[in-house]
Amino acid sequence: MKKQVLTKCLASGLSVAMLATTLSGCRFGFASDPDDPNEVTAEEPIDTSVDTFQYDTSLSGTSITLLNSKAEIQTALVEMGKAFEEKSGVHVEVMPVTDGDSPYTKVVSLYNSGNPPTLSILDTTDIIALAEEKGADLTGESWTAEAEGYLTEIDGKIYSFPLCIEGRGVIYNGEVIEEALGQPFDPAAIRTQDDFVALLDRLVEAGLDHPISMAKEDWSLGAHHLQYIYETYDGTSDGAAECIELIKNDQLDLTTYDRMDQFLNMFDILMKYNVAYRDPLGADYDEMAIDLADGKTAFWFNGNWAWPNLAEADAEEEDNYGFLPYFLNNDEGDFVNRQIQASPSKQIMLDGIVATEQEQAAAKQFLNWMVFSEIGQQMLVKTCKIIPPFHNNPYEPSDPLSRDIYNQVQAGTAFNASAIVPNDHWAVLGAAMQKYLAGRSDRAELIQSIESYWDDQG
Amino acid sequence: MKGKSGGKDFCGFALPGLFCFAAVVIVPFLYGVYLTLTDWNGVSNVKNFIGGTNFLSVLKDAQFWSSLWLTFKYVVVVVIAVNILAFAIAYLLTRGFKGQNFFRAGFFTPNLIGGLVLGYIWQFVFSRVFVGIGEATGWELFGASWLSDPTLAFVALVFVSVWQLSGYMILIYVAGFMGLNKDVMEAASIDGATGWIKLKKIVLPLMMSSITICLFLTLSRAFMVYDVNLSLTAGAPYGTTEMAAMHVYEKAFTSRQFGVGQAEALILFVIVAIISGIQVYLTKKREVEA
Repeated sequence: MKKQVLTKCLASGLSVAMLATTLSGCRFGFASDPDDPNEVTAEEPIDTSVDTFQYDTSLSGTSITLLNSKAEIQTALVEMGKAFEEKSGVHVEVMPVTDGDSPYTKVVSLYNSGNPPTLSILDTTDIIALAEEKGADLTGESWTAEAEGYLTEIDGKIYSFPLCIEGRGVIYNGEVIEEALGQPFDPAAIRTQDDFVALLDRLVEAGLDHPISMAKEDWSLGAHHLQYIYETYDGTSDGAAECIELIKNDQLDLTTYDRMDQFLNMFDILMKYNVAYRDPLGADYDEMAIDLADGKTAFWFNGNWAWPNLAEADAEEEDNYGFLPYFLNNDEGDFVNRQIQASPSKQIMLDGIVATEQEQAAAKQFLNWMVFSEIGQQMLVKTCKIIPPFHNNPYEPSDPLSRDIYNQVQAGTAFNASAIVPNDHWAVLGAAMQKYLAGRSDRAELIQSIESYWDDQG
Repeated sequence: MKGKSGGKDFCGFALPGLFCFAAVVIVPFLYGVYLTLTDWNGVSNVKNFIGGTNFLSVLKDAQFWSSLWLTFKYVVVVVIAVNILAFAIAYLLTRGFKGQNFFRAGFFTPNLIGGLVLGYIWQFVFSRVFVGIGEATGWELFGASWLSDPTLAFVALVFVSVWQLSGYMILIYVAGFMGLNKDVMEAASIDGATGWIKLKKIVLPLMMSSITICLFLTLSRAFMVYDVNLSLTAGAPYGTTEMAAMHVYEKAFTSRQFGVGQAEALILFVIVAIISGIQVYLTKKREVEA
């Protein structure tokens, strides 16, 4: 009897432990991806009273599909598709790339199953991999004239529609800095790495123990941090490509390349003042947004896509957020200390293999509608909350991060350089950067990892 | 006449199944083997035959071999832990106490949750709950997230897998225990066999068929682990917890080397098939009937 009671107690104890841990997940949120479709903020009204766009009535009744790899605008794209259908009669079916699938994997599997989307929103690297084989030539489209400087050319042809400009840098919370220092904060007054360190030291003295957040995610470390070494070669995409070629061909030695050393100096500064300095690889992405909005930190290295997370953490659109450059040295004349990086990220490719002429024409009309119609222009900015690269779009983004990028692009204080790297660059070198961030490798080992990665690329 | 009707029966019953098996297993498998001999990038319409070049690339892929070694370590720990735990709990749950069905359901519940969801739940537990406990109590073990240390992240991976897989194995062992011949057990007791001797000489040999199934299932599942690996650690910290299946996926889809990824998948398949085959052969040999 005693044995049975003991058995029962043991079994119930184990069972309760298992059930409790099962259920605990339901009560709390999970660390989320920056592209969380649930994090859409308040809608802005769209004025539909004026619409001078010329619709091709012969396309009415056509149905096209749009593969969306930018999850945070899924709802907005569906709305946009509806608005376009109401006006043109063309149905736009928006298909999301589900969690766990990479956009490239998804689009490739759709091609292999013979059912590709008419339009696909993809990263530039994916466009370069697919365009010549699968994409329709968009060189003659009229919107190309409005996106000068933001087009991706492959062998002199244009295969993709630049959907948005995204930029990154050191996000600041102006109110937190002003409150801590007791004086107005002028981001333009920070012109060098030393200025930045001095500001950090003053914030530490003022009680902000470790004023910076930095994500541990490999996409952040491998793509957003490390790619500065290519993109700051001369501040252009061509320069980034040249830099990569030189590294590949062993003509640029990373141990003596000044940008590499400068980049690591800045990275070391971010590491030193990192709020998660005790366990940098345990840093939680969602908490970073909360810390910045609540004033536990004053800076967060990220891009304008972080706004939904900040908004979720109760940041208001009227708040004083903006970007500081990724300071690489103490030369006030060096563009990297004055400009933030901003370039087109997501691009739309039109299928040129399976889509019928009618479908291709309908898809082209949809792209033109986004650029030239009053409704499309508004919806890109106000509904999708993106920064369109089209010069004719008069609407300004409403959130402070996108607004800052927009203003800096307009003012010429943003450099448009985007490094085209192999698809696994962020994963492989992101891991090497994580090791460095955790203090488990030194500069020499990190540089060795980068060099051997490029050696493997042939 | 007999042969004719046998052929008809075969066509009626086996052909549909064989067709489905061939369509979803054999043909894709053979196609996969063919892909290992090409330079296909997953998109191109052209597939150039390149012989064994992909297999040579696999030999040079140090990360694959280290992830395979890690997978071996993981498999050994998981298979032993799952089977001992499931066997012990199944033993407790067949003692005949009141409410044991409720406990069986309780233990089985983690198995109903998909690996991805499970990984995210435990990621939260390891990264936030444990760290919270560490901050509140000052315990060094919980001072930092387990997922940021290579060794502890591996332990976390094993822990979650054991937690998930045990429920299913418990069910199989419970069925095995319930099927034990009462006469034999009673005879053993009358002959004076108790405790360890009874377990070793009577229960274990009679449970060998359950052990065969459970070992096979845990072996194959542990070798092919992907979902929990992806959602719990995603290979982090710095690629130290990337198991073989995940590496294969990354090679094929992230690095876009389909041929090499496929060749690695084939090697993984051969290893799993050989090890599982040996295991089934050895354990089947020990099966006895009451």
